[in-house]
Amino acid sequence: MSTDFVPRVLLTKSFIDSHDRAIKTIALALRDAGFEVILIDYEMPSDVAHVAVDEDVDVIGVSFMSGGQVSVTEAIVGSLAQANRGDIPVVVGGTIRPFDVEGLNSAGVRAIFRGGESFERVIETFRALALSTRAERNAAA
Amino acid sequence: MLTGTNDAPRIKRWLSDTAAAVVDSAAERWLDARHKRYGEATFESTNRSGVVVQPAYGPQDLAAKPVEELVMPGQFPYDRNLYPVHYQYQPWMDLQIIGYGVASQLRERMDLLKEEGGARGYFGGEAYNIIFDMPTSMGIDPDFPGVQGAIGDTGVSISKMSDFETLFDGKDLTATHVSMVCNAGSPGILALYLAAARNRGFDLTKLGGNITNYIWDFFGHCGGINFSPRGSYRLCADIAVYCAGVAPRFNTLTVSEHNICEAGANHVQAVAFSIATIIALNEECRSLGIDLDTVVPRYGFHVRYGEDFFEDIAKTRALRRMYAKVNRDRFACVKVGSLQARIHAQTAGSLLTVQQPLNNLMRNAYGAMSAVLSGVNGMTINAYDEALGIPTEEAVTLSLRTSQILAEETGVTKVTDPLGGSFYLERLTDEVERAAMAVIDEIDERGGLIECIESGWMTEQVARSAYRWRQEVESGARPMVGVNTHVVDEEPKVRVFQPDPEAARLALEDLARHRTERDNAATSAALEKLRRAGHAIQEGREIGSVTAALVDAAQIGATLGEMQTVLHEVFGRNK
Repeated sequence: MSTDFVPRVLLTKSFIDSHDRAIKTIALALRDAGFEVILIDYEMPSDVAHVAVDEDVDVIGVSFMSGGQVSVTEAIVGSLAQANRGDIPVVVGGTIRPFDVEGLNSAGVRAIFRGGESFERVIETFRALALSTRAERNAAA
Repeated sequence: MLTGTNDAPRIKRWLSDTAAAVVDSAAERWLDARHKRYGEATFESTNRSGVVVQPAYGPQDLAAKPVEELVMPGQFPYDRNLYPVHYQYQPWMDLQIIGYGVASQLRERMDLLKEEGGARGYFGGEAYNIIFDMPTSMGIDPDFPGVQGAIGDTGVSISKMSDFETLFDGKDLTATHVSMVCNAGSPGILALYLAAARNRGFDLTKLGGNITNYIWDFFGHCGGINFSPRGSYRLCADIAVYCAGVAPRFNTLTVSEHNICEAGANHVQAVAFSIATIIALNEECRSLGIDLDTVVPRYGFHVRYGEDFFEDIAKTRALRRMYAKVNRDRFACVKVGSLQARIHAQTAGSLLTVQQPLNNLMRNAYGAMSAVLSGVNGMTINAYDEALGIPTEEAVTLSLRTSQILAEETGVTKVTDPLGGSFYLERLTDEVERAAMAVIDEIDERGGLIECIESGWMTEQVARSAYRWRQEVESGARPMVGVNTHVVDEEPKVRVFQPDPEAARLALEDLARHRTERDNAATSAALEKLRRAGHAIQEGREIGSVTAALVDAAQIGATLGEMQTVLHEVFGRNK
């Protein structure tokens, strides 16, 4: 993998969730760390998979402040699998409650970020996941 | 801070030359002493708002005030307080924010709050501050595909008139203040409530309450779907005119300085954007030929507390002063009610931490105290566990106790505007006002608020501030106990409230039943009438007819989402 690798990430939250401070902040932090960032509101969880596939992103980050943590994540992961892109890792952030964790882990999320998480850990996690997605894709190609 | 050359002429406006000389001499001697003892260090600090704070203030700062602002509480420009005497006569209204599940489930929490001495309105009445789940808040029915996971999760699910009838079953709505926190769904949610009250036979002219009506809010918590900016302001005017005639005690707009702060703005931005919102709406109403004094008295503010104790108080006073001046001088309002900014305080949710969550009790108490020292009219003290999820009953009760301790034990309620005349606070108020006025001037130069929203300038300003704040936390420049300082290895375990997962099923079944039981032809006709009213007000005619059509449609059986679909078609979406 060359050193000029530019990870592509999709950051998203529901169109009904008005709380966008966290995801906008993470978008700016990733951008400043050299990522290409696509930021969308989804209406349907399947929208996330479609955009992720169309844009060929390396990682998906989903922000939750107002419910649907487990059911939406399951739907996104399901849509990715249907599109044969189950290899794209999904991470979640925001208000992730103890009772959400088991369902999120079962759905296969690769990381959970809550309030107060350091930029460093967020950026490094995204970078590592992006690198491995790209490496696997290149190996398969 | 020294009176110096800039302030000297102002002093002469109300201080004698002799007094001014004494004041100047004291300031100079202090500066000399500081230099001798500490050398060149200034001990200045800069607030996140950009306002520079000195290590001490003195009579020279008070002397710099314009003579017309040397007033008692209850006098123009109302910065000190709206009333001559405040908490000594009427304590603040406790509006603990509550909402989860379906209406019948939330009613249980409301009853608990009342038993604990909460839900306390003015003059012996009851008061509730209801928050809706995100689908409801945005005007979307629970059976809309893709929103099921959010039903009843972080607020109550409401989609039809009967849900409000269940929520307030048996209550005298003319003695119940109902505050409703909602975004794009505001017009429809207000209509469902008014329809429920009318259906139960209550006289709408006697209904007291509040719809936050965050449909104008494009720089606060409005990252999601909303109306187009221009459509939003037209709808705000419609609601204001309708209520002025039909439900004149109902507050039709809450400008949320709180939400703007929570989205990341600093205090100067938040105050400026709040006043700019009023300017934009007043201009909209004036262009429609509406007498501003008939609608403005029912606007209010929602202000955030907890970031910076004294600046929180200063911004409140600056907001009240600017509101009075702008409405009087720029819009020629004459009614006292049009000049008085009523304020509902809320402590800062975004400053609560997941780490060591009990620390949030202290944060909330300090925030609440600054709100009380600001002389706010209503109060929401967040629960300490809100960074983790929906509050437990224990956490909600502790928030209420925080308010009760402030009101009944601390003694801070003995005097109206107890900090009035503080050298520091008066100067800080002036600085915040001056800086916020400069932002308003910039917005005017850029073509006004709506132009600034449409160009993206506004959200860019807020996002930048939010990012800077987070960078300061990362670098340690902004200490947060438990996050970047005084960190513990093992986080304490706390119980987290889990809303009933059955709520979604209950809401969906109930809505499905409703759709089959109602008169579908009459509902369609009512929605068609709503659409015609929408087009009329878009053309500047029959202002108020949209809200009237919404209330009629709601009473006939239209759902929130059905009404919202029509409104979105007519007034456009933001995205």
